Amino acid sequence: MIKIEPAAWTVMVQHAESTFPNECCGVMFGPSGETKTVVEAMPLANTYTGPQEDRYEISPEDLLRAERHARQNGFDLIGIFHSHPDCDAYFSKTDLENSCPWYSFVVLSIKGGRFDHANSFLPNADQTAADKEPLEFPESNG
Amino acid sequence: MAKVLIPTPLRQFTDKQDAVIAAGSTVGEVLGALTAQFPALRNNLYNAEGKLRSFVNVYVNDEDIRYLDKDATAVKDSDTLSIVPSIAGGRS
Repeated sequence: MIKIEPAAWTVMVQHAESTFPNECCGVMFGPSGETKTVVEAMPLANTYTGPQEDRYEISPEDLLRAERHARQNGFDLIGIFHSHPDCDAYFSKTDLENSCPWYSFVVLSIKGGRFDHANSFLPNADQTAADKEPLEFPESNG
Repeated sequence: MAKVLIPTPLRQFTDKQDAVIAAGSTVGEVLGALTAQFPALRNNLYNAEGKLRSFVNVYVNDEDIRYLDKDATAVKDSDTLSIVPSIAGGRS
């Protein structure tokens, strides 16, 4: 279970909508535990050098900075988010093959420049499967 | 004895420690000492062939060991090692 607090959710959706039609990416911070709660989201640069409409890449240097930010603020880095412009929030083959089993992966579907829906996934260590994880965000209850 | 910073999700395998001091004069030796001390970490960092998993990057201070001497990169006692994943993806 991963729950996203309103302030963090606003940052994620605004970043995903403002980078449309490209994919966006970022990290999520919060206390970890049985229920993960995201209290802060940090947009990161999509460093993929080709067309970004259907790909994203996070530089390890940015992740290293994000991990340091978490330590300095007493949070944990608990997840990664990215957007799928004009398609659904599934975990694609590309997502799976370039994932890491250590984090929750929240995918935001952005259709026509506006948020549509989102899902969270937990990929395995061999990058062969990803389980869907219950996700709660401010608009998820209607 | 170098310091290894442990990412949040891996702290469950290091008795909840966020940093571990491990012996070794190279990155390979330090990670070997780390995984000897905490065997459950090994499967998270290495694949069945004993190679670092494709999504695992190791930094010595601010330097990626892929651009240094990889596993043979020299480590001093004052150095800090960070374990940082590679993350990418896309809708197609």
